[in-house]
Amino acid sequence: MPRNWQHFLICFALIAALSGGGCAVRADEAIDFNRDIRPILSENCFRCHGPDSATREADLRLDQEAAALADRGGYAAILPGDPEASEFLRRILSTDEAEQMPPPEADKDLTQKQIELLTRWIEEGAKWSAAWSYVPPRRHELPTIKNPTPAGHWIDNFVLARLDKAGLTLNKPADSVTLVRRVSFDLTGLPPTPAMVEDFEADPSDAAYEKLVDELLASPHFGERLAMMWLDLVRFADTVGYHGDQTHNIWPYRDYVIHAFNANMPFDQFTREQLAGDLLPEANEDQLIASGYNRLLQTSHEGGVQLKEYRAIYLADRVRNVSQVWLGGTVGCAQCHDHKYDPYTARDFYSLGAFFADIEEEYHLSAGDALNGNTLPTKRPPEIEVLSTYQRLKLAELDQQIESLSEQNPTLAVLQKERDDIAKQKTFTMISHGIAPREVRVQARGDWQDESGEIVQAAIPQFLGQVKKVDSRASRLDLANWLTDSEAGIGGLTARVMVNRYWAMLFGEGLARVLDDFGGQGESPSHPELLDNLAVEYLETVWDTKHILKLIVMSQTYRQSSLATSELRQRDPLNVLLARQNNFRLPAESVRDTLLAVSGLLDPSIGGRSVRPYQPPKYFRFLNFPKREYEQDAGSEQWRRGIYMHWQRTFLHPMLKALDASTREECTARRPRSNTALAALTLLNDPNSVEAARSLAAKVLTDNVQATDDERIAFAFRQAVSRVPDSAEKEILKELLVASRDSFEKQSTAGGEFLGIGMSPVGSKLPRSELAAWTSVCRAILNMSETTTRN
Amino acid sequence: MNPSQFAAFQHQLNRRTFLSRAGLGLGATALSTLLDHDLTSRAAATDLSIPGLPHLPPKVKRVIFLYMSGGPSHLETFDYKPKLAELDGKPMPESFTAGQPIAQLQGQILKAQGPLTKFGRYGKSGQTISDFLPFHRQIADDICVIKSMVTEQINHDPAHTFMNTGTAISGRPSMGSWINYGLGSDNQSLPGFVVMTSEGGRDPQPIAPRMWGSGFLPSQFQGVPFNSSGEPVYYIKSPEGVPDQLQRQVVESVRALDRHRHEQTHDPELLARLAAYETAFRMQSSVPELLDLADEPQHIWDMYGAKPGDGSYASNCLIARRLAERGVRFIQLYHRDWDHHGDLVEHMHTCCRCTDQASAALIMDLKQRGMLEETLVVWGGEFGRTPMFQGKGGPGRDHHIKGFTMWVAGGNIRPGMTYGSTDELGYHAVEKPVHVRDLHATMLHLLGIDHKRFTYKFQGLDMKLTGVEEARVLHDILA
Repeated sequence: MPRNWQHFLICFALIAALSGGGCAVRADEAIDFNRDIRPILSENCFRCHGPDSATREADLRLDQEAAALADRGGYAAILPGDPEASEFLRRILSTDEAEQMPPPEADKDLTQKQIELLTRWIEEGAKWSAAWSYVPPRRHELPTIKNPTPAGHWIDNFVLARLDKAGLTLNKPADSVTLVRRVSFDLTGLPPTPAMVEDFEADPSDAAYEKLVDELLASPHFGERLAMMWLDLVRFADTVGYHGDQTHNIWPYRDYVIHAFNANMPFDQFTREQLAGDLLPEANEDQLIASGYNRLLQTSHEGGVQLKEYRAIYLADRVRNVSQVWLGGTVGCAQCHDHKYDPYTARDFYSLGAFFADIEEEYHLSAGDALNGNTLPTKRPPEIEVLSTYQRLKLAELDQQIESLSEQNPTLAVLQKERDDIAKQKTFTMISHGIAPREVRVQARGDWQDESGEIVQAAIPQFLGQVKKVDSRASRLDLANWLTDSEAGIGGLTARVMVNRYWAMLFGEGLARVLDDFGGQGESPSHPELLDNLAVEYLETVWDTKHILKLIVMSQTYRQSSLATSELRQRDPLNVLLARQNNFRLPAESVRDTLLAVSGLLDPSIGGRSVRPYQPPKYFRFLNFPKREYEQDAGSEQWRRGIYMHWQRTFLHPMLKALDASTREECTARRPRSNTALAALTLLNDPNSVEAARSLAAKVLTDNVQATDDERIAFAFRQAVSRVPDSAEKEILKELLVASRDSFEKQSTAGGEFLGIGMSPVGSKLPRSELAAWTSVCRAILNMSETTTRN
Repeated sequence: MNPSQFAAFQHQLNRRTFLSRAGLGLGATALSTLLDHDLTSRAAATDLSIPGLPHLPPKVKRVIFLYMSGGPSHLETFDYKPKLAELDGKPMPESFTAGQPIAQLQGQILKAQGPLTKFGRYGKSGQTISDFLPFHRQIADDICVIKSMVTEQINHDPAHTFMNTGTAISGRPSMGSWINYGLGSDNQSLPGFVVMTSEGGRDPQPIAPRMWGSGFLPSQFQGVPFNSSGEPVYYIKSPEGVPDQLQRQVVESVRALDRHRHEQTHDPELLARLAAYETAFRMQSSVPELLDLADEPQHIWDMYGAKPGDGSYASNCLIARRLAERGVRFIQLYHRDWDHHGDLVEHMHTCCRCTDQASAALIMDLKQRGMLEETLVVWGGEFGRTPMFQGKGGPGRDHHIKGFTMWVAGGNIRPGMTYGSTDELGYHAVEKPVHVRDLHATMLHLLGIDHKRFTYKFQGLDMKLTGVEEARVLHDILA
């Protein structure tokens, strides 16, 4: 072999030193197949030498050890310990285009560093290991670290061990204002109240922090925050999604989700109730509402839909969702062919789809008859008429109050009326109902017109074993049990997938960065042992979500500052090593919530129907079947949290859209976080924002009657970002105040039009041009990056 | 780091690989500075193409896609089928229809429907054009008519998604956002991808923003809808009662506060935000300026057949030219009235009255300004219509995906050409079928992009506009 390995190694050492990244394997560190080698093979080789037998070249597969090492008639692709005799490497290094690998037309070039890694790996014996995510998590010993932190949290041990190796350390702790804001945003999606900030600033001790965390976890807003994540995953929306995008009856499902998180329902139960609530013995109303999960997919009422085509579309939609949400897998890729990178076959895809073949959905498939179709809302049995979880809770609370009052008490009638009003608000919601299962066939190349394929029964992906079934046919309940059973099922993987998402909620990024692909083309975790231990903890505590969240937020890793020197940014731009926290703009709903909370407009009630805040006129003009007007809410619903906003899949509210909320057409595990001119225009000019500025201005003027301009600026600033402005910030805002006063005093209406934006009457008794001037200042404050950033 | 920065970062990594391969000695610090600088400027501006692009010398700078939503009948526009006239009213031969997907005609007896208008041959090229499109005669020698289009989706919604994103699965990036992502905009005060939908016409098919969505690409690359009437862009107007100067001062205060914060934290995300607020403010004047057509002379209005402020397709065509002049990369105009299951003749008259003159005017106007050679113009819908009769009211036609017509013009596309053909009844594309993917590949090629190499990592896969199936550039239609 015409290669000088020594020469290579010197070059690589140089390049490795130059690249400077913290994630590279070091020369003195053993090669780890899953971390170092599998990604290279998967990215560059598996497409033709992987699990998909239909496109496998040269009868060679490199995703399985035995196949790769097999004797191929006097030579082997890979000969452990002998790079020079390994055909695999010879082909990679070949300059002959006819035999070069990957072939030139694949447009895949291995870097020198990757070649060096492959070489070292073969030299060290070419050890394979099973794909990390399918190996059940186990508890790992805590690594020893150089300087144990006084608080001594086990999560920190894993992070510090890796930082030690890189010669780095945890950042200094975040200051108390930053921390109280961070934990409040993360656990409730809302900014802390001024009182919470004051208390924590006065006593930022560990004990006080723990108490704060406990309070936030107990807050009813906790469930709303977790539901924001969950509703994106399961693609919950108020409309059907395709074509006429009619509204459908499903909002009680959202109440269910919020309540489940608030009640800290074990995640396995949460899973069972959604996938198979209707199959549970003596299913209660909440469990039936939960089974609406199977109805959340996009459906079409378009005239001329072909029954078989849409059955196939819906099956695929469900497979994609269940695999992304629970397995962190892209089984959806196996619709037309065996998966290219993971061991899922096309047969697995259809077998997984067969679990859902019993779902009654005639009304997802017919258009235009009297019952169904192009009406608002569209009616799609099976539906049940219910009071939602929070309506029932409210009712129970009122009943208790009513019972405690004597018959003469004048408030009795008021409460009685309130009670009766709620009792009357029953609403329909879609549920699952099992019928005789439809026949499911493997569709070659995903072609729904091809009816020659093998008939398959409901089954889990074959390489993962067999599902335990109660009856002869494996049911959705069996699937749910399998997904959450760490012994007889894949619960360990599910636990990993979920704790990784909780981590991402608290750090902006997961330990494994691709939140919905734990397969070969995802990224293996930066801290695999830590992820394992968290997953094991989740399993051992019987899926105690609040416990996991508390564990993480109590760590020093979570509590460290997100400020980074430019040296650290350059060294570890993606913050893989966690030598700092991350900072990021709040999710769209929380941006809205923050403006409303800070300005005092927020209606913090929990649960209930979807609400319709201001939206540009004619925004739905291109919708049809039927044509519709958007009717904005006229009551206090106008100022409810973003999570309750009417979610129109096609024409999502422009504020939600500009701030990267998901349209919920497909599972969204990670929203993008953009910074666009459209987002800026929204925060500047949307009546929802302008009204919030006016409301905050009114608070500035009424709560600080005797105060100076300086004091008022400081007050407004602190409302928004929980700290006082420095002199430069004060100066900027003072200049704006002067200019605004000047501008509005000159207007004949003294800012009347400006103050007329939004229907809240707040501030109507205040002097107009002064309120307008302060509204202007508050617009600037609410538009500051810091106001809507979680640091 | 947000995803857009991450994407930029990935590109920089590729560039770094390139640099190290090319043997350029760059120290780690210099490299990081380069990274950091490129990251922030790329995040801050939309004027940069991603590294490595264009792959080839570009032939055009931009695309104007005239999207005839609903599915115009190829059999009453460009694809004349005398045989179909002979079979009019008779059963459609099963050899054509057996086993084929069918939309609204499912379960009905299939009868042939002859052409519902006359055709003529026009221009030096002798292009076949129906009497519904008299103005198209003037551009017969400027356009290349593709008569062998095929698509895979037979219902409007998925077919739109397919035409725009190359797949029927929701949530994938549209062609405009791919191109905007790849090449950026030449204008810092306007989005790189603008969408306009004409008003007027009868109760038409709905359309949805997923047709111009950015899918998994960073959201700044999505199409921005400009409204033909009312507020031109959502939230573009300053709040009622706030004079421009005060709005400027509010924006400047926000920027000053964010800049101050940046000085303390050095958070690069803040630089992107500073740029976003600057662009936002510039858009507040550039968009109204763009849409203020007062400086267009009367003969131009007449040429397009547009009236000020009417929100019509004709006005949108005129605005499209102005967007093209200002460097917008991808301009898409939707006209939604082409779904003619019944009363086809009457509805064709309506549709063609709205669009025929202006489509032709746009080509002629671009040409007289020397812009046609640098602009790709595409005309067509999500599918065509059946050779079979459908009778919702007077004669009409159902959705049809196995053969339909689109036309393209501009750049080095051979003018006056006809490409491909359907069978004698206009059912199947038989000669040189052109799949939607081929159209996409050709579009990218004209812009200097090799569709096979134009990828973006998503769920671990190298995603492409043209997907995994074979897609080919239509070299035969290029000079």
